[in-house]
Amino acid sequence: MADNTNNRAPEINDIQSDIVSAAAAKPKGLNIPYERRKQLYGYGFIALWFVGSIYFFIAPLIQSLIYSFHQTKIVTGGMQMSNPGFKNYYNAFRKDQYYVPALTAMIKDTLLNTPLIIVFSVFIAVILNQKFKGRTAARAIFFLPVIIATGPVIDIINGNMSTGGYAGGSEQFSTMFETNLVDDLLNFLGIYNISDKLTNVISTLTSDIMNLIWKCGIQIILFLSALQGIPYSAKEAASMEGATSWEYFWKITVPYISPILISALVYTIVDSFVDPSNDVMTLVLNQSKQWEHGYSAAMAWAYFAIVGAILAVVLAVINRFVYYEVE
Amino acid sequence: MATKKEERIFEKERRKSQKARMARMKKDGLDKYFTPDQIRYNRNRRIIGAVWPFFRGLILFGLGFVIMYPLLFMLSTAFRPNEQMNDPSIVWLPKSFTWNNIHETATVMKFNYWDAAHPFHNTVLNTILLNVVSSVLQVITCSITGYGFARFKFKGRNVLFAIVLLMIIVPPQITTIPLYLQFAYFKLFGIIPLYDAKGEPLSIINTGLTMYLPALFANGIKAGLFIYIFRQFFRGLPKELEDAAYLDGCGPFETYVKIMIPNAKTSFLTVFLFSIVWYWNDFYVSSSFFTENNTVALMLKNLDATLQQQLFDGQTVSVRQIIVWLESGCLLAITPLLIMYTFLQKYFVEGVERSGLTGM
Repeated sequence: MADNTNNRAPEINDIQSDIVSAAAAKPKGLNIPYERRKQLYGYGFIALWFVGSIYFFIAPLIQSLIYSFHQTKIVTGGMQMSNPGFKNYYNAFRKDQYYVPALTAMIKDTLLNTPLIIVFSVFIAVILNQKFKGRTAARAIFFLPVIIATGPVIDIINGNMSTGGYAGGSEQFSTMFETNLVDDLLNFLGIYNISDKLTNVISTLTSDIMNLIWKCGIQIILFLSALQGIPYSAKEAASMEGATSWEYFWKITVPYISPILISALVYTIVDSFVDPSNDVMTLVLNQSKQWEHGYSAAMAWAYFAIVGAILAVVLAVINRFVYYEVE
Repeated sequence: MATKKEERIFEKERRKSQKARMARMKKDGLDKYFTPDQIRYNRNRRIIGAVWPFFRGLILFGLGFVIMYPLLFMLSTAFRPNEQMNDPSIVWLPKSFTWNNIHETATVMKFNYWDAAHPFHNTVLNTILLNVVSSVLQVITCSITGYGFARFKFKGRNVLFAIVLLMIIVPPQITTIPLYLQFAYFKLFGIIPLYDAKGEPLSIINTGLTMYLPALFANGIKAGLFIYIFRQFFRGLPKELEDAAYLDGCGPFETYVKIMIPNAKTSFLTVFLFSIVWYWNDFYVSSSFFTENNTVALMLKNLDATLQQQLFDGQTVSVRQIIVWLESGCLLAITPLLIMYTFLQKYFVEGVERSGLTGM
């Protein structure tokens, strides 16, 4: 290498011979081409994670899949398994009176809430991306749920503690909001009680408005980062052409943030499905608390398969509408 | 480059001259300069520009209130004497303030417990130790893995990356029980069984190792997400950096330490902060592996049970009767996070924006 840089020969031939001699001068063991060597280093970089993920992730994953097909019993030294077969799955879907209703309720909830969360986060992100006084403070407040909502604090706020019973913050707040404001607004607009279904939908939305807003933190951050990636030239061109803010939003903003939509969607769906306080997860955890690990694993796996299928469908549909800027 | 102050002055001058020009144009009659369409467009813009900030303020205030509501409620109740909870004349401001709730809750949660022989029986110190060690390990190993995925082409990369994605999607609840058994009958490298002093199979349940070991191997809490963030970030850095380093005689690992880490400082800090937050708030994983090892989140999760035991002699009381202590517990648990957040708020937000999550 040193020879190569010191000896600045003008002729191409000379340089070539230099490189050849430099390569020849290297010790034999290192005589692997750069690209090949990079490949090996790549394996080196991920080796630690790979070993870890086999022990801490893949092995337990397969183990729990095996449990789900067996009757299990904890004994000293590990898990004793008997009666292989689909019995656990059969019981979950045909005999358990809570599992299927919880599952359908969960899926319905998620499908209803996810678009709301996404629309709401885009809306807030657009507002927080504008310039105004106190923007930093506003951002700080809207990201606050990211810090708090993942912990047990949110349970106390929602009154879902193990003893239960306390009409916690969100309920208290939402009742106030629902009865006073939303009904008044509907009355005012003259659409109150047009149809029971509409009223129902609206009241389910408002009764959970706090939880909805509290779940938006990460999504707002994601969309905000996407908004800041919109090139200034696009903004300039739009204002030259006389685009109104509405047109600007649909023709510039939405296409540019559509790639991040996928990650926001995945995050929202996964987050709501794996939330330990949702009904299905509670069932799964209760079963494993009662030492029915095989049954609990079967429930979890069936649930996980359904979530995976939903995710795949949603992604396949959304992917068709995403705009990728060609570079 | 003009300084910020100068730029502000320029901006002022620009506005002033624009205003003067508009006034001149108006005097001449606007139709001379603009088409009717343009006049309408400009008028609409002006009206929206005047009205929108008002609505924006309203929306932000309303939604901000929804978010702040539980926190305000927490503050209001935590310092309120218990008797005043049932006083209908009090909505937000109690008639007198008291530190008793906070003090009693802190004692129950072992926040002010001190024993020089076992400093980590104090909940806060114990949690901080667990969090910081795990987060540091996690950030280092996840960044190395993310760099490997971002910058090296090797066979099977896509398959291996699919495992990372699977780590994001699979909830920890699925893998906890087998993992518990692995930890309870711990084997070196998963093969060699170990025994403790009494000849029993070695169990690392209730020790910090159940947190440190996964973090050391880039498999801690939300590790998949962190690997993903680092991969996206490193993919965004120019390729020339590595080539230049290679020509100067840096090996890949040296390149990573000397070139990539300094470039990724903000990303590191963001991931570290999020990691701290998630470890601090985690109660599922820690409740599965700890039965005696107390963390703040676990203490808070079991707070109502412990309160009944220690303050009410084991009587069952409704949550309404102990709400002041519960809310004090919440306040105690989130205060450290809130302090960190107020000072480092910018890194939470900007870091994610810069980490390249955008370029999916």
